[in-house]
Amino acid sequence: MKGVIFNVFEDCVSREFGPDTWEELLDEANLLGAYTSLGNYSDDEFDALLRAVAARQGKTQADALRWFGESAMPILKERFPQLFANYASSRNFVLAVNTIIHPEVRKLYSGANCPNFRFKETESGSLFMGYESSRKMCDLAHGFIVGASKLWCEEVNITHHTCMNHDDDKCLMEIQWQR
Amino acid sequence: MAALNRQGADPGPETDLNLRLLKAQNRFQRERTARLEAESIAEKGLRDLYEKQRQLELLGVIATQANQSHSVEEILRFTLEAICQHTGWGFGHVFRINPNNPDMLVSALIWFAEPGTNVSDFAEEACARNFPKGVGLPGRVLETGKALWIADVTKDPDFPRWKAAERSRLHAGFAFPVLVSNDIVAVMEFFFRGAVEPNESMLSIMSQIGTQVGRVVERQQLEDKLVHDATHDPLTKMPNRLFFMGRLERAVAVHCLRPDSRFAVLFIDLDRFKLVNDSLGHTAGDTLLREISARLMAVLDEEAVKSAAVVTLARLGGDEFTVLLEEMQHDLVATDVADRVQDELGRVIEIDGQEVYTSASIGIASSETAHENAADLIRAADLAMYRAKTEGRARVEIFDASLHQAAMQRLALETDLRGALRRGDFILHYQPIVNLHSNEIVGFEALIRWRRNGGEFVSPLEFIGLAEETGLIVFIGAWVMREALATLAKWQGEGPENANLTMSINVSFKQFHQPDFLESVVMAITASGVHPSTVRLEITESVTIRDADKTVEILKSLRALGVRVSMDDFGTGYSSLSYLHKLPFDTLKIDRSFVMALQQESGGREIIRTILALAQSLRMEVVAEGAETVAHVDELREMGCGYAQGYFFSRPLDEPDALRLLNGQRFSSRDLARLEASRA
Repeated sequence: MKGVIFNVFEDCVSREFGPDTWEELLDEANLLGAYTSLGNYSDDEFDALLRAVAARQGKTQADALRWFGESAMPILKERFPQLFANYASSRNFVLAVNTIIHPEVRKLYSGANCPNFRFKETESGSLFMGYESSRKMCDLAHGFIVGASKLWCEEVNITHHTCMNHDDDKCLMEIQWQR
Repeated sequence: MAALNRQGADPGPETDLNLRLLKAQNRFQRERTARLEAESIAEKGLRDLYEKQRQLELLGVIATQANQSHSVEEILRFTLEAICQHTGWGFGHVFRINPNNPDMLVSALIWFAEPGTNVSDFAEEACARNFPKGVGLPGRVLETGKALWIADVTKDPDFPRWKAAERSRLHAGFAFPVLVSNDIVAVMEFFFRGAVEPNESMLSIMSQIGTQVGRVVERQQLEDKLVHDATHDPLTKMPNRLFFMGRLERAVAVHCLRPDSRFAVLFIDLDRFKLVNDSLGHTAGDTLLREISARLMAVLDEEAVKSAAVVTLARLGGDEFTVLLEEMQHDLVATDVADRVQDELGRVIEIDGQEVYTSASIGIASSETAHENAADLIRAADLAMYRAKTEGRARVEIFDASLHQAAMQRLALETDLRGALRRGDFILHYQPIVNLHSNEIVGFEALIRWRRNGGEFVSPLEFIGLAEETGLIVFIGAWVMREALATLAKWQGEGPENANLTMSINVSFKQFHQPDFLESVVMAITASGVHPSTVRLEITESVTIRDADKTVEILKSLRALGVRVSMDDFGTGYSSLSYLHKLPFDTLKIDRSFVMALQQESGGREIIRTILALAQSLRMEVVAEGAETVAHVDELREMGCGYAQGYFFSRPLDEPDALRLLNGQRFSSRDLARLEASRA
């Protein structure tokens, strides 16, 4: 996993719980914690930190991941404003994830292993999003979408019709923006 | 901290610790900021490098494909997809220049949409709309010749398709020209879901891609031109033989599969085209051909609509045109079309102020004609045309099996004719020319006879035309001259009374116009040893028509040598009396048809009288041909005709018989009476 994720995670934790909490989490997770954005680090380190945050928050890991995704959005927007410019809605932003956001991420972080989403727009306005990854991080995507909607001051409902974390082959989320 | 210590009291261990902590935090923050900045610099550098590499990769992929591709459509499709995939832009589309208006772009109906994107509204609009120069994204590219980027087309004041773009949720757009040299042949445009600020480095790569794609277009244009030039006639811009044969072969193949699909071939040959070319010059001939082509095209367009047949018109070469009629509803279509063509070509054509009348001989062969391939059908139509021509021109003939039979016979005749000289199948016969006042033989006319393969005699009427067409006449004519002069030399050597005996030798059109004709005459005379004044070359009027100045020059040279020249078959050709006096003939030969007409009330007598008066005023001698009866001879003599030849005196004889006749010399009155009695 790219170092930049750890950096953003650190920012989220520090903003929510103060700067010392990250140090404590690192201690709890028994990690050295020197992360540079361009470096590559083990997914296990991220999982350990997530477990520590979940424990501290009294949440499930899934909820902690959603919290991280949602809190990360404003930080990502500060850090990469050009990725957020030019979208009229969070829906457009979400739809651009495969075609512009992830390609941009790959440009910045060579070798980044970004997931590919499948989108299908329905007549009723819902957006179905399919996800498949050995990381099973559909909850991070969930959090990102909620965070993005907040950036555009929009309300969104997300339903997980199938989920790899509940023994399904793939995840299928239905995203509904309120008009 | 040391300075503080020196100036003030000891702040105490707790305060000192806070101060150090503060400083450490500052240092940490500074380091963190520096790290973020270093990361950001590294990220930007890597991003630029990555982008550049990807762009070069894209350019490389397209350049490679451009090197291999032979189809413009193929490279356009490839490029659309490659650009969409490399850039992530969801929709690409191509405009091409309207062939009838270089300032208008029309959709090439070639587009690409990333799977999963629903841009059908915009794709439909892109394919339907035309863009004049200067209007919209593609029109502006056409105007400036430069790539253009619009950050958000839905907010652009000059993007007519903005509503469709909005419906398809497309915002950013760029377009670039496909260039051949400096000419724009197409404009490619791409669109993206979000708004994107212009990226100059990407636009620059796109411009280079436009040039690469242009190379394929240029190659295709050159290939198309080569193929077009190879299959079209440069003078009339019509399809040529190669093109026509291709179509005909296809028609033959289709007919093979679907015997009910009928087609016909018309072989059109202009009558008297050569006359126009020779008399008015090649430029006029070319003008005539262009005019004829335009008329043919117009009338065939009409006929195609009327008969619902598929029509292909081609110029095979010279004054030969062919028409292929396919999908004919009935066989009469072919003759209808042929009749219409003749009507149209029959109207007067004005060339350089001259009124020219032309007509066409047309041969028709249909898919019902027995054939194995396209060449058989063309040959059949050609044969039918040939029949039309020989049957009096301006006619339409339909191929039938008897034509084929005749053609085969002709081919056999030609084969035998080619070997005849070598085999010594030709012999000369001699017909005496008699002085009507003294009844003495003054000379002979040499007449060729062909004993085909050593067997039966073939009439000169049957083979002289063929010898003319094949050019064999030149060799045959040269042999006749050598042979006749050798005979003359022999006869003159028989006695002093024969010293002035003359030999008349027919010279054909082709022979006369050989560049070395004069030389060959001199050589033949020299070789034989006869005096040039005893040689009479007989030339028909038609020989003199082509290039009158040259004819006069050759005739004068012959006269200067002392050779005498006769105009053969006078009164049957085209020459006008007005220029007869320019031609230095010394003898006119009255055609047999006028002599035959003497006993009828059809004006033969008046014509002969006129010719005799004309000859007298031009100081020419006159020889009448075809004198068959004593009445002919008496009347000719009475009218003042000096010489005659014909069956009354003698049919053409072989050399020994002719010599015997000569040795008998003069025809006495008793001889003449006997001759008359024997004929009666």
